[in-house]
Amino acid sequence: MTSSLRLNLGPQHPSTHGVLRLLLELDGEKILSCEPDVGYLHRGMEKMAEKMSYIQYLPLVDRIDYLAGFFYSELLCGVVENALEVELPDKVRAIRVMLLELNRISSHLLWIGAFLMDLGAVSPFFYAFREREKILRYFEKLTGQRMMYNYFVFGGVRKDIEYLEDVEEILSILPEKLDDYEKIITENPIFLMRTRGKGILEAETALNYAITGVNLRASGVDYDYRHNDPLYKGFDFRAVVMDGKDSWTRYKARVLEIKESMNIIHQALVYLKEAGKLEQKLINPLNLKLPEGDYIQEIEAPRGLACCYVKSTGEDKPYRLKWRTGSYYSVNLLRELLKGEYLNDAIAIAGSLDIILPEVDK
Amino acid sequence: MNWNEFERIFHGCELVGNKIVIQSNLLGVIEFVLKEYPYDMLKEIIATDKGDEGVELTYHLYSVDDEEDLFISITVKDEIESVTGIFKSAEADENEIYDLFGIKFIGNENLKRLYMPEDWEGHPLRKDYKEDDKRLEWNDKQS
Repeated sequence: MTSSLRLNLGPQHPSTHGVLRLLLELDGEKILSCEPDVGYLHRGMEKMAEKMSYIQYLPLVDRIDYLAGFFYSELLCGVVENALEVELPDKVRAIRVMLLELNRISSHLLWIGAFLMDLGAVSPFFYAFREREKILRYFEKLTGQRMMYNYFVFGGVRKDIEYLEDVEEILSILPEKLDDYEKIITENPIFLMRTRGKGILEAETALNYAITGVNLRASGVDYDYRHNDPLYKGFDFRAVVMDGKDSWTRYKARVLEIKESMNIIHQALVYLKEAGKLEQKLINPLNLKLPEGDYIQEIEAPRGLACCYVKSTGEDKPYRLKWRTGSYYSVNLLRELLKGEYLNDAIAIAGSLDIILPEVDK
Repeated sequence: MNWNEFERIFHGCELVGNKIVIQSNLLGVIEFVLKEYPYDMLKEIIATDKGDEGVELTYHLYSVDDEEDLFISITVKDEIESVTGIFKSAEADENEIYDLFGIKFIGNENLKRLYMPEDWEGHPLRKDYKEDDKRLEWNDKQS
Protein backbone atom coordinates (compact mmCIF):
# COMPACT_ATOMS: atom_id res chain seq x y z
CA MET A 1 0.00 0.00 0.00
CA THR A 2 1.61 3.20 -1.14
CA SER A 3 0.33 6.64 -0.33
CA SER A 4 -0.28 9.21 -3.02
CA LEU A 5 1.83 12.33 -3.45
CA ARG A 6 0.40 15.81 -3.70
CA LEU A 7 2.34 18.00 -6.10
CA ASN A 8 1.98 21.72 -6.57
CA LEU A 9 2.42 22.92 -10.17
CA GLY A 10 2.62 26.67 -10.63
CA PRO A 11 1.64 29.47 -10.29
CA GLN A 12 5.07 30.67 -11.45
CA HIS A 13 5.83 27.74 -13.71
CA PRO A 14 6.81 29.06 -17.18
CA SER A 15 4.61 26.59 -19.01
CA THR A 16 1.39 27.57 -17.25
CA HIS A 17 1.06 30.63 -19.52
CA GLY A 18 0.48 33.02 -16.69
CA VAL A 19 -0.53 32.26 -13.17
CA LEU A 20 -2.38 28.96 -13.16
CA ARG A 21 -1.80 26.71 -10.18
CA LEU A 22 -2.59 23.02 -10.45
CA LEU A 23 -2.73 20.78 -7.40
CA LEU A 24 -1.98 17.29 -8.62
CA GLU A 25 -2.41 14.07 -6.72
CA LEU A 26 0.07 11.51 -8.01
CA ASP A 27 0.52 7.78 -7.75
CA GLY A 28 4.06 7.37 -9.00
CA GLU A 29 3.90 9.37 -12.23
CA LYS A 30 0.22 8.82 -12.81
CA ILE A 31 -2.19 11.66 -12.07
CA LEU A 32 -5.06 10.59 -9.82
CA SER A 33 -6.77 13.97 -9.61
CA CYS A 34 -6.18 17.57 -10.56
CA GLU A 35 -7.51 20.64 -8.81
CA PRO A 36 -7.01 23.95 -10.64
CA ASP A 37 -6.56 27.02 -8.46
CA VAL A 38 -7.17 30.34 -10.18
CA GLY A 39 -7.60 33.95 -9.11
CA TYR A 40 -4.05 35.26 -9.03
CA LEU A 41 -4.91 37.79 -11.74
CA HIS A 42 -8.41 38.74 -10.65
CA ARG A 43 -9.04 42.40 -11.39
CA GLY A 44 -12.77 42.58 -10.76
CA MET A 45 -13.71 43.45 -14.33
CA GLU A 46 -17.39 42.83 -13.66
CA LYS A 47 -17.50 44.90 -10.49
CA MET A 48 -15.64 47.76 -12.16
CA ALA A 49 -18.23 47.86 -14.95
CA GLU A 50 -20.95 48.70 -12.45
CA LYS A 51 -19.12 51.85 -11.41
CA MET A 52 -18.18 53.18 -14.84
CA SER A 53 -19.98 54.61 -17.82
CA TYR A 54 -19.72 52.61 -21.03
CA ILE A 55 -17.05 54.78 -22.64
CA GLN A 56 -14.95 54.71 -19.46
CA TYR A 57 -15.13 50.93 -19.47
CA LEU A 58 -14.23 50.49 -23.16
CA PRO A 59 -10.41 50.83 -22.86
CA LEU A 60 -10.41 48.25 -20.04
CA VAL A 61 -11.96 45.36 -21.93
CA ASP A 62 -8.92 44.83 -24.18
CA ARG A 63 -7.19 43.57 -21.04
CA ILE A 64 -9.54 40.62 -20.58
CA ASP A 65 -7.49 38.76 -23.16
CA TYR A 66 -4.37 40.71 -23.96
CA LEU A 67 -3.51 38.48 -26.90
CA ALA A 68 -6.85 39.06 -28.60
CA GLY A 69 -7.99 42.49 -27.45
CA PHE A 70 -10.04 43.34 -30.52
CA PHE A 71 -12.54 40.59 -29.76
CA TYR A 72 -13.56 41.99 -26.41
CA SER A 73 -13.79 45.56 -27.72
CA GLU A 74 -16.04 44.23 -30.45
CA LEU A 75 -18.25 42.51 -27.87
CA LEU A 76 -18.82 45.62 -25.78
CA CYS A 77 -19.36 47.79 -28.86
CA GLY A 78 -21.72 45.14 -30.21
CA VAL A 79 -23.83 45.18 -27.04
CA VAL A 80 -24.20 48.97 -27.17
CA GLU A 81 -24.93 49.01 -30.91
CA ASN A 82 -27.53 46.26 -30.59
CA ALA A 83 -29.22 47.95 -27.66
CA LEU A 84 -29.50 51.23 -29.55
CA GLU A 85 -30.36 49.39 -32.79
CA VAL A 86 -27.54 50.93 -34.78
CA GLU A 87 -26.69 49.27 -38.07
CA LEU A 88 -23.01 49.29 -39.02
CA PRO A 89 -21.96 50.45 -42.50
CA ASP A 90 -20.39 47.74 -44.67
CA LYS A 91 -17.00 49.37 -44.59
CA VAL A 92 -16.91 49.40 -40.79
CA ARG A 93 -17.86 45.71 -40.78
CA ALA A 94 -15.10 44.89 -43.24
CA ILE A 95 -12.51 46.81 -41.19
CA ARG A 96 -13.57 45.07 -38.00
CA VAL A 97 -13.59 41.60 -39.56
CA MET A 98 -10.16 42.14 -41.09
CA LEU A 99 -8.65 43.28 -37.79
CA LEU A 100 -10.35 40.51 -35.81
CA GLU A 101 -8.99 37.84 -38.13
CA LEU A 102 -5.50 39.36 -38.10
CA ASN A 103 -5.73 39.31 -34.33
CA ARG A 104 -6.82 35.66 -34.43
CA ILE A 105 -3.76 34.81 -36.53
CA SER A 106 -1.41 36.62 -34.16
CA SER A 107 -2.99 34.81 -31.20
CA HIS A 108 -2.73 31.37 -32.84
CA LEU A 109 0.87 32.07 -33.89
CA LEU A 110 1.80 32.86 -30.31
CA TRP A 111 0.08 29.66 -29.22
CA ILE A 112 2.04 27.56 -31.71
CA GLY A 113 5.30 29.01 -30.42
CA ALA A 114 4.40 28.65 -26.76
CA PHE A 115 3.00 25.14 -27.18
CA LEU A 116 6.16 23.89 -28.87
CA MET A 117 8.18 25.61 -26.15
CA ASP A 118 6.19 23.61 -23.58
CA LEU A 119 7.24 20.45 -25.36
CA GLY A 120 10.89 21.50 -25.28
CA ALA A 121 11.35 22.80 -28.84
CA VAL A 122 12.75 26.31 -28.65
CA SER A 123 13.21 27.37 -32.26
CA PRO A 124 9.53 27.39 -33.41
CA PHE A 125 8.94 30.00 -30.72
CA PHE A 126 11.26 32.43 -32.50
CA TYR A 127 9.83 31.64 -35.92
CA ALA A 128 6.26 32.20 -34.74
CA PHE A 129 7.18 35.44 -33.00
CA ARG A 130 8.91 36.69 -36.15
CA GLU A 131 5.64 36.47 -38.11
CA ARG A 132 3.52 37.69 -35.22
CA GLU A 133 5.75 40.73 -34.94
CA LYS A 134 4.73 41.80 -38.47
CA ILE A 135 1.08 41.77 -37.46
CA LEU A 136 1.75 43.65 -34.23
CA ARG A 137 3.80 46.25 -36.16
CA TYR A 138 0.81 46.80 -38.41
CA PHE A 139 -1.52 47.17 -35.42
CA GLU A 140 0.88 49.66 -33.89
CA LYS A 141 1.01 51.71 -37.06
CA LEU A 142 -2.77 51.76 -37.29
CA THR A 143 -3.90 52.13 -33.67
CA GLY A 144 -0.79 53.32 -31.84
CA GLN A 145 -0.76 50.25 -29.61
CA ARG A 146 0.74 46.81 -29.92
CA MET A 147 -1.70 44.98 -27.70
CA MET A 148 -4.35 47.18 -26.03
CA TYR A 149 -5.80 48.74 -29.14
CA ASN A 150 -8.93 50.60 -28.02
CA TYR A 151 -9.65 51.12 -31.72
CA PHE A 152 -13.31 50.11 -32.00
CA VAL A 153 -15.76 52.67 -30.70
CA PHE A 154 -19.54 52.60 -30.34
CA GLY A 155 -20.94 52.78 -33.87
CA GLY A 156 -17.69 52.41 -35.79
CA VAL A 157 -13.93 52.66 -35.59
CA ARG A 158 -11.72 55.43 -34.30
CA LYS A 159 -10.24 56.38 -37.67
CA ASP A 160 -10.20 55.20 -41.25
CA ILE A 161 -8.16 52.13 -42.20
CA GLU A 162 -4.66 52.79 -43.52
CA TYR A 163 -1.51 50.96 -44.65
CA LEU A 164 -3.37 48.19 -46.47
CA GLU A 165 -0.17 47.35 -48.31
CA ASP A 166 1.22 46.05 -44.99
CA VAL A 167 -1.66 43.59 -44.72
CA GLU A 168 -1.00 42.48 -48.29
CA GLU A 169 2.60 41.86 -47.38
CA ILE A 170 1.60 39.78 -44.35
CA LEU A 171 -0.74 37.74 -46.53
CA SER A 172 1.95 37.13 -49.11
CA ILE A 173 4.55 36.02 -46.55
CA LEU A 174 2.45 33.83 -44.27
CA PRO A 175 1.61 30.81 -46.50
CA GLU A 176 5.26 30.14 -47.16
CA LYS A 177 6.16 30.48 -43.48
CA LEU A 178 3.28 28.23 -42.43
CA ASP A 179 4.60 25.56 -44.79
CA ASP A 180 7.97 25.92 -43.10
CA TYR A 181 6.38 25.40 -39.68
CA GLU A 182 4.54 22.36 -40.90
CA LYS A 183 7.75 20.91 -42.29
CA ILE A 184 9.53 21.10 -38.96
CA ILE A 185 6.59 20.47 -36.63
CA THR A 186 3.65 18.52 -38.02
CA GLU A 187 5.38 15.24 -38.89
CA ASN A 188 8.22 15.56 -36.41
CA PRO A 189 8.48 12.16 -34.65
CA ILE A 190 9.14 13.63 -31.20
CA PHE A 191 6.20 16.00 -31.58
CA LEU A 192 3.98 13.14 -32.75
CA MET A 193 4.97 11.01 -29.77
CA ARG A 194 4.16 13.80 -27.33
CA THR A 195 0.81 14.72 -28.88
CA ARG A 196 -0.70 11.83 -30.90
CA GLY A 197 -3.36 10.05 -28.87
CA LYS A 198 -2.68 12.24 -25.82
CA GLY A 199 -5.40 14.21 -24.10
CA ILE A 200 -8.32 12.57 -25.91
CA LEU A 201 -11.39 14.81 -25.65
CA GLU A 202 -14.60 13.09 -26.72
CA ALA A 203 -17.32 15.24 -28.28
CA GLU A 204 -19.86 14.50 -25.50
CA THR A 205 -17.35 15.40 -22.79
CA ALA A 206 -16.45 18.61 -24.59
CA LEU A 207 -20.09 19.66 -24.89
CA ASN A 208 -20.83 18.69 -21.31
CA TYR A 209 -17.93 20.85 -20.12
CA ALA A 210 -19.08 23.73 -22.41
CA ILE A 211 -15.83 23.70 -24.38
CA THR A 212 -16.07 25.85 -27.50
CA GLY A 213 -13.83 27.14 -30.25
CA VAL A 214 -11.02 25.17 -31.84
CA ASN A 215 -10.93 22.63 -28.99
CA LEU A 216 -14.54 21.64 -29.69
CA ARG A 217 -14.12 21.60 -33.46
CA ALA A 218 -11.03 19.36 -33.13
CA SER A 219 -13.34 16.86 -31.41
CA GLY A 220 -15.58 16.71 -34.46
CA VAL A 221 -18.41 19.08 -33.49
CA ASP A 222 -19.27 21.61 -36.16
CA TYR A 223 -19.95 24.73 -34.14
CA ASP A 224 -18.46 28.02 -35.26
CA TYR A 225 -20.37 31.09 -34.11
CA ARG A 226 -18.98 33.13 -37.00
CA HIS A 227 -21.51 31.47 -39.31
CA ASN A 228 -24.39 32.97 -37.29
CA ASP A 229 -22.68 36.27 -36.61
CA PRO A 230 -24.22 39.21 -38.53
CA LEU A 231 -20.77 40.84 -38.47
CA TYR A 232 -19.44 38.14 -40.84
CA LYS A 233 -22.41 38.34 -43.24
CA GLY A 234 -21.25 38.24 -46.86
CA PHE A 235 -17.93 36.56 -46.08
CA ASP A 236 -17.38 33.12 -47.52
CA PHE A 237 -15.47 30.70 -45.30
CA ARG A 238 -15.82 27.28 -43.76
CA ALA A 239 -15.30 26.07 -40.21
CA VAL A 240 -12.30 23.82 -39.60
CA VAL A 241 -13.78 20.61 -38.20
CA MET A 242 -11.48 17.66 -37.52
CA ASP A 243 -12.11 14.31 -35.92
CA GLY A 244 -8.86 13.39 -34.19
CA LYS A 245 -9.80 14.53 -30.65
CA ASP A 246 -6.18 14.57 -29.42
CA SER A 247 -3.55 17.27 -28.81
CA TRP A 248 -2.10 16.85 -32.30
CA THR A 249 -5.49 17.53 -33.90
CA ARG A 250 -5.91 20.67 -31.85
CA TYR A 251 -2.54 21.84 -33.16
CA LYS A 252 -3.40 20.99 -36.76
CA ALA A 253 -6.84 22.63 -36.51
CA ARG A 254 -5.23 25.88 -35.40
CA VAL A 255 -2.83 25.84 -38.33
CA LEU A 256 -5.72 25.27 -40.73
CA GLU A 257 -7.72 27.99 -39.01
CA ILE A 258 -4.91 30.47 -39.67
CA LYS A 259 -5.24 29.63 -43.38
CA GLU A 260 -9.00 30.11 -43.24
CA SER A 261 -8.53 33.48 -41.49
CA MET A 262 -6.18 34.52 -44.29
CA ASN A 263 -8.95 33.71 -46.74
CA ILE A 264 -11.36 36.00 -44.83
CA ILE A 265 -8.76 38.79 -44.62
CA HIS A 266 -8.23 38.51 -48.35
CA GLN A 267 -11.95 39.02 -49.01
CA ALA A 268 -12.05 42.02 -46.66
CA LEU A 269 -8.96 43.45 -48.32
CA VAL A 270 -10.47 43.24 -51.81
CA TYR A 271 -13.53 45.12 -50.56
CA LEU A 272 -11.58 47.73 -48.61
CA LYS A 273 -9.33 48.62 -51.53
CA GLU A 274 -12.37 49.48 -53.64
CA ALA A 275 -14.38 51.16 -50.87
CA GLY A 276 -14.38 54.92 -50.71
CA LYS A 277 -13.87 57.20 -47.75
CA LEU A 278 -15.13 55.95 -44.40
CA GLU A 279 -18.59 57.24 -43.60
CA GLN A 280 -19.84 56.31 -40.18
CA LYS A 281 -22.25 57.71 -37.62
CA LEU A 282 -20.65 57.32 -34.21
CA ILE A 283 -22.81 57.09 -31.10
CA ASN A 284 -22.19 60.02 -28.79
CA PRO A 285 -20.53 58.36 -25.80
CA LEU A 286 -21.25 61.23 -23.42
CA ASN A 287 -24.29 60.57 -21.29
CA LEU A 288 -24.83 57.31 -23.18
CA LYS A 289 -27.75 55.41 -21.68
CA LEU A 290 -28.96 52.00 -22.82
CA PRO A 291 -32.70 51.39 -22.73
CA GLU A 292 -33.93 49.17 -19.92
CA GLY A 293 -33.50 45.47 -20.64
CA ASP A 294 -31.13 42.51 -21.00
CA TYR A 295 -28.65 42.35 -23.86
CA ILE A 296 -26.42 39.49 -24.83
CA GLN A 297 -23.74 39.44 -27.51
CA GLU A 298 -21.54 36.57 -28.59
CA ILE A 299 -18.38 36.26 -30.66
CA GLU A 300 -16.05 33.47 -31.74
CA ALA A 301 -12.81 34.43 -29.98
CA PRO A 302 -9.55 32.50 -30.55
CA ARG A 303 -9.99 30.61 -27.28
CA GLY A 304 -13.64 29.75 -27.65
CA LEU A 305 -16.97 31.45 -27.55
CA ALA A 306 -17.05 34.75 -25.66
CA CYS A 307 -20.28 36.37 -24.49
CA CYS A 308 -21.04 39.70 -22.93
CA TYR A 309 -24.26 40.08 -20.98
CA VAL A 310 -25.48 43.51 -19.92
CA LYS A 311 -28.49 44.29 -17.80
CA SER A 312 -29.43 47.93 -18.01
CA THR A 313 -31.92 49.82 -15.91
CA GLY A 314 -31.77 52.87 -18.14
CA GLU A 315 -28.87 54.44 -16.25
CA ASP A 316 -25.58 55.53 -17.78
CA LYS A 317 -23.85 52.60 -16.09
CA PRO A 318 -24.66 48.91 -16.53
CA TYR A 319 -26.61 47.38 -13.63
CA ARG A 320 -24.81 44.10 -14.19
CA LEU A 321 -22.23 43.07 -16.77
CA LYS A 322 -21.00 39.51 -17.16
CA TRP A 323 -18.30 38.01 -19.34
CA ARG A 324 -18.21 34.46 -20.58
CA THR A 325 -14.77 33.42 -21.75
CA GLY A 326 -13.58 30.20 -23.36
CA SER A 327 -10.50 29.62 -21.19
CA TYR A 328 -12.52 29.56 -17.98
CA TYR A 329 -14.22 26.35 -19.05
CA SER A 330 -10.99 24.85 -20.45
CA VAL A 331 -9.41 25.19 -17.00
CA ASN A 332 -12.37 23.39 -15.46
CA LEU A 333 -11.94 20.62 -18.06
CA LEU A 334 -8.42 19.90 -16.76
CA ARG A 335 -9.96 18.08 -13.77
CA GLU A 336 -11.33 15.49 -16.18
CA LEU A 337 -8.72 15.52 -18.94
CA LEU A 338 -5.63 15.04 -16.77
CA LYS A 339 -7.08 12.15 -14.77
CA GLY A 340 -5.14 8.96 -15.53
CA GLU A 341 -2.47 10.70 -17.63
CA TYR A 342 1.24 10.82 -16.80
CA LEU A 343 2.80 13.85 -15.21
CA ASN A 344 5.08 14.59 -18.16
CA ASP A 345 2.02 14.73 -20.44
CA ALA A 346 0.15 17.10 -18.13
CA ILE A 347 1.90 20.19 -19.47
CA ALA A 348 1.48 19.10 -23.09
CA ILE A 349 -2.24 18.49 -22.63
CA ALA A 350 -2.91 21.68 -20.66
CA GLY A 351 -0.91 23.61 -23.27
CA SER A 352 -2.89 22.15 -26.15
CA LEU A 353 -6.13 23.67 -24.79
CA ASP A 354 -4.76 27.22 -25.26
CA ILE A 355 -5.57 28.58 -21.82
CA ILE A 356 -4.86 32.21 -21.03
CA LEU A 357 -5.17 33.32 -17.45
CA PRO A 358 -6.43 36.92 -17.66
CA GLU A 359 -9.46 35.47 -19.44
CA VAL A 360 -10.02 33.00 -16.63
CA ASP A 361 -9.67 35.49 -13.80
CA LYS A 362 -11.33 38.47 -15.51
CA MET B 1 -42.17 22.76 -27.05
CA ASN B 2 -45.76 22.20 -26.08
CA TRP B 3 -46.17 25.29 -23.96
CA ASN B 4 -49.65 24.43 -22.63
CA GLU B 5 -48.48 21.14 -21.21
CA PHE B 6 -45.38 22.80 -19.81
CA GLU B 7 -47.49 25.43 -18.07
CA ARG B 8 -49.76 22.76 -16.61
CA ILE B 9 -46.87 20.80 -15.06
CA PHE B 10 -44.88 23.77 -13.79
CA HIS B 11 -47.28 26.33 -12.30
CA GLY B 12 -46.54 30.01 -12.39
CA CYS B 13 -44.01 29.99 -15.21
CA GLU B 14 -44.01 32.44 -18.09
CA LEU B 15 -42.36 32.66 -21.47
CA VAL B 16 -40.68 35.94 -22.50
CA GLY B 17 -39.04 35.66 -25.93
CA ASN B 18 -36.77 32.63 -25.61
CA LYS B 19 -36.56 32.97 -21.83
CA ILE B 20 -38.62 30.82 -19.46
CA VAL B 21 -39.13 32.41 -16.05
CA ILE B 22 -39.86 29.80 -13.40
CA GLN B 23 -40.57 29.98 -9.67
CA SER B 24 -39.22 26.65 -8.39
CA ASN B 25 -38.18 23.10 -9.31
CA LEU B 26 -35.23 24.06 -11.52
CA LEU B 27 -33.94 20.50 -11.97
CA GLY B 28 -37.41 19.26 -12.93
CA VAL B 29 -37.76 21.96 -15.59
CA ILE B 30 -34.30 21.34 -17.07
CA GLU B 31 -34.87 17.59 -17.19
CA PHE B 32 -38.25 18.10 -18.86
CA VAL B 33 -36.78 20.47 -21.45
CA LEU B 34 -33.87 18.12 -22.18
CA LYS B 35 -36.24 15.20 -22.72
CA GLU B 36 -38.08 17.13 -25.44
CA TYR B 37 -35.18 19.00 -27.03
CA PRO B 38 -31.48 18.20 -27.53
CA TYR B 39 -29.93 21.10 -25.65
CA ASP B 40 -26.42 19.75 -25.23
CA MET B 41 -24.50 22.66 -23.79
CA LEU B 42 -24.89 24.94 -20.78
CA LYS B 43 -23.04 27.95 -22.10
CA GLU B 44 -23.10 29.90 -18.85
CA ILE B 45 -25.04 30.77 -15.73
CA ILE B 46 -25.66 34.48 -15.32
CA ALA B 47 -26.31 35.79 -11.82
CA THR B 48 -27.84 39.19 -11.18
CA ASP B 49 -28.52 40.66 -7.75
CA LYS B 50 -32.04 42.06 -7.71
CA GLY B 51 -31.89 43.54 -4.21
CA ASP B 52 -34.70 42.41 -1.88
CA GLU B 53 -36.11 39.89 -4.38
CA GLY B 54 -32.92 37.84 -4.23
CA VAL B 55 -30.48 36.76 -6.89
CA GLU B 56 -31.71 35.94 -10.38
CA LEU B 57 -29.93 32.98 -11.98
CA THR B 58 -30.26 32.65 -15.75
CA TYR B 59 -29.22 29.34 -17.30
CA HIS B 60 -28.08 29.80 -20.90
CA LEU B 61 -28.65 26.53 -22.79
CA TYR B 62 -27.61 25.89 -26.36
CA SER B 63 -28.35 23.20 -28.91
CA VAL B 64 -25.60 22.67 -31.48
CA ASP B 65 -27.83 20.79 -33.93
CA ASP B 66 -30.74 23.26 -33.88
CA GLU B 67 -28.51 26.33 -33.38
CA GLU B 68 -30.91 27.56 -30.74
CA ASP B 69 -30.44 29.35 -27.44
CA LEU B 70 -32.78 28.95 -24.48
CA PHE B 71 -32.71 30.88 -21.23
CA ILE B 72 -34.22 29.52 -18.02
CA SER B 73 -34.42 32.05 -15.24
CA ILE B 74 -35.14 31.56 -11.54
CA THR B 75 -34.84 33.94 -8.58
CA VAL B 76 -33.39 32.50 -5.38
CA LYS B 77 -32.70 33.79 -1.88
CA ASP B 78 -29.60 31.93 -0.73
CA GLU B 79 -29.55 28.36 -1.97
CA ILE B 80 -30.60 26.20 -4.91
CA GLU B 81 -30.02 22.69 -6.21
CA SER B 82 -26.88 22.20 -8.29
CA VAL B 83 -27.09 21.17 -11.95
CA THR B 84 -23.60 19.62 -12.04
CA GLY B 85 -25.23 16.19 -12.33
CA ILE B 86 -26.47 17.17 -15.81
CA PHE B 87 -23.88 19.69 -17.02
CA LYS B 88 -20.32 19.38 -15.75
CA SER B 89 -19.51 22.91 -16.91
CA ALA B 90 -21.78 24.19 -14.14
CA GLU B 91 -19.00 23.34 -11.65
CA ALA B 92 -17.13 26.38 -12.90
CA ASP B 93 -20.13 28.72 -13.00
CA GLU B 94 -21.51 27.66 -9.63
CA ASN B 95 -18.16 28.13 -7.94
CA GLU B 96 -17.88 31.65 -9.35
CA ILE B 97 -21.42 32.55 -8.26
CA TYR B 98 -20.77 31.08 -4.79
CA ASP B 99 -17.69 33.28 -4.47
CA LEU B 100 -19.11 36.53 -5.84
CA PHE B 101 -22.79 36.27 -4.83
CA GLY B 102 -22.80 33.87 -1.86
CA ILE B 103 -25.39 31.48 -3.31
CA LYS B 104 -24.99 27.89 -2.08
CA PHE B 105 -25.52 25.08 -4.57
CA ILE B 106 -26.81 21.94 -2.88
CA GLY B 107 -25.06 18.88 -4.26
CA ASN B 108 -21.91 20.63 -5.47
CA GLU B 109 -19.12 19.43 -3.17
CA ASN B 110 -16.34 21.56 -4.65
CA LEU B 111 -17.55 25.04 -3.68
CA LYS B 112 -14.71 27.20 -2.42
CA ARG B 113 -13.50 30.77 -2.52
CA LEU B 114 -12.32 31.19 -6.09
CA TYR B 115 -11.09 34.74 -6.68
CA MET B 116 -11.36 36.20 -3.18
CA PRO B 117 -9.06 35.16 -0.31
CA GLU B 118 -10.28 32.32 1.94
CA ASP B 119 -10.96 34.61 4.88
CA TRP B 120 -12.71 37.37 2.92
CA GLU B 121 -16.05 38.49 4.32
CA GLY B 122 -18.96 39.29 2.04
CA HIS B 123 -19.58 38.73 -1.64
CA PRO B 124 -18.43 41.60 -3.86
CA LEU B 125 -21.04 41.50 -6.61
CA ARG B 126 -23.96 41.77 -4.16
CA LYS B 127 -25.52 45.20 -4.35
CA ASP B 128 -25.44 45.59 -0.56
CA TYR B 129 -21.73 44.77 -0.37
CA LYS B 130 -19.66 47.35 1.50
CA GLU B 131 -15.99 47.73 0.68
CA ASP B 132 -14.74 48.01 4.24
CA ASP B 133 -12.19 45.21 4.45
CA LYS B 134 -9.09 46.61 6.14
CA ARG B 135 -6.93 45.19 3.35
CA LEU B 136 -8.52 47.73 1.00
CA GLU B 137 -7.12 50.73 2.94
CA TRP B 138 -4.11 50.57 0.68
CA ASN B 139 -6.31 51.78 -2.18
CA ASP B 140 -7.40 54.91 -0.30
CA LYS B 141 -3.82 55.93 0.38
CA GLN B 142 -3.21 56.06 -3.36
CA SER B 143 -5.85 58.71 -4.06
